[in-house]
Amino acid sequence: MRLIFFYLGKLFTIIKNEVLVLPSRVAVGLFFLFMLLLPLFTKDIYLLRIFTLTSIFAIFAASWDLLSGFTGQMNFGHALFFGVGAYGAALLNLHASIPPWASVPLGALCAVLAGLIIGIPCLRLRGTYLALTTLAFPIILTGLIFAFPSFTGGELGISGIVRLTQSRVGDYYTVAVLMLGLCTVMWKITDSNIGIIFHAIREDEVAVRASGVNTTRYKLLAFSLSGFFAGISGGLYAHFMRIAGPSTLDLFLSFSVVIYAIFGGVVTIYGPVGAVFVLFPLLEFLRVVQNYRTLMFAVVVLLILLYMPDGLFAWLRDKIEKECPRCKIRNIATRHTCRVCTAPLD
Amino acid sequence: MLLEVANLSVWYDKAMLINNLSMGVDTGELVSLVGPNGAGKSTLLRAITGLVAWERELTRRSTHGEVKLEGTVTFDGERIDQVPAHEIVKRGLILCPERRRPFREMTVIDNLMVGSYLSKDKDEAQNNLDKVYELFPVLKNRTKQISGTLSGGEQQMLAVGRALMSKPKLLCIDEPSTGLAPILRAEVFQKIGDISKLGITVLLVEQDVSTVFKMTSRNYVLSSGKIIAQGTGEQLLQDEVVRKTYLGL
Repeated sequence: MRLIFFYLGKLFTIIKNEVLVLPSRVAVGLFFLFMLLLPLFTKDIYLLRIFTLTSIFAIFAASWDLLSGFTGQMNFGHALFFGVGAYGAALLNLHASIPPWASVPLGALCAVLAGLIIGIPCLRLRGTYLALTTLAFPIILTGLIFAFPSFTGGELGISGIVRLTQSRVGDYYTVAVLMLGLCTVMWKITDSNIGIIFHAIREDEVAVRASGVNTTRYKLLAFSLSGFFAGISGGLYAHFMRIAGPSTLDLFLSFSVVIYAIFGGVVTIYGPVGAVFVLFPLLEFLRVVQNYRTLMFAVVVLLILLYMPDGLFAWLRDKIEKECPRCKIRNIATRHTCRVCTAPLD
Repeated sequence: MLLEVANLSVWYDKAMLINNLSMGVDTGELVSLVGPNGAGKSTLLRAITGLVAWERELTRRSTHGEVKLEGTVTFDGERIDQVPAHEIVKRGLILCPERRRPFREMTVIDNLMVGSYLSKDKDEAQNNLDKVYELFPVLKNRTKQISGTLSGGEQQMLAVGRALMSKPKLLCIDEPSTGLAPILRAEVFQKIGDISKLGITVLLVEQDVSTVFKMTSRNYVLSSGKIIAQGTGEQLLQDEVVRKTYLGL
């Protein structure tokens, strides 16, 4: 009993000293709470469904940021991973009757394989060339799917897949917890030594080579990690919608993930996640003006990018927090002195 | 000889950038490589450190023509011309690339940590870090600063510091003084002298002949991919042909 109190006290101190001092951390904490507690307040199936889909796409957007934001490998065909994950999970579930908890990770491993297959020829390409090449792969796969309709379901896709769980709330919790967990893992990766090397590759690959890093291996690692996370989101989508169709490889999906990431702020992980939580429900909400839906969506995106070129969440963070000029520790914007070194701010 | 280059030739498509070149660097020396623009100085360093071979892999079957590499490079008694670039770094031959190349969006400490990628041991990395900070105290004050906001001289020191984090036996520095004010140049050169005094062999590529010749033990003058003169700074400065034609003094 005492031990429990001791750890609770410790947790409380950590929360007080590390989380409550910065508004951005408080915001992340509130977001976690909101996601976990939402079904307690509403049982509205439509709302839960939107938030489930939003969470799925949040994983997807964050995985793009890991590859294209951090490592700088511009991928305009990210839907490939999503589609391979979705089809992989669907086929495994339908033909081998593997339950969702195994078919989703196995589908993600198929996506890792796809990441390696496209990663190897793409290693020599940079910038626009890489973007155009990656753009081609989902289109090629769509062609293959149409070519073998007996196995892949052709234009209709694969239906009749097992549901993720037996209830909507169960679906929501599975996806939401996975989203929170996987995004934390991705953020942790970018914060680790691997993340430093990813970031360095984006800046200057020659200099990274000259420091003794096998950049080829790290670029492939970025492709497979990103493929894995995107594949998970694809598998979840297939099991949630109970269908894996060619729309999972759609060009629009590839581009919308780029829009999400840039809207929220690239090279942050939290930016793309937040952006999905703003834009995806917005697009749903705009169904009240069905005819102008995409137009208004475009206007919102353009306005944000015009006034906040670094992305919405990077801009917000900059407004509510100040960086200490001396020790580079972030402080809440209302403080006049740094919380660590007491140097005057601004 | 710590580094020995024998009959090295490099072609980029039909252009021969290094022409049957032989040279060597002994342990503990501070050797410079000077010469006019386009002489092949940087190409030579890239060839030695394995980056040309890497480029050859990247451009294989491309329409720009082939990169070819002939001859031998020996480092510490082993041939390294067939060894990939990141393996060469493990053996202690390290290049500090030209045009001041820290990773501009990353903090100073992250930049240095990329350099210490090879030391798996944390104590060792910390030890190297302390040494770099001792040599460049200015970096210590700016640990958490984004390196793109450092001044030109500080960025150069960071680039050299990052190279030092990989524990070089031979450090190749490519044009450290490009685009720096004279006072910063002097500081950078002084630091390079300090590095040499620590017992690290340095191969320095430079345009600023007058300063460099005062520090080095030997010099190579390179032109059109060939070594056309070598010797101590004094010897080279007395040679009228070398002075006028190649050094422009």
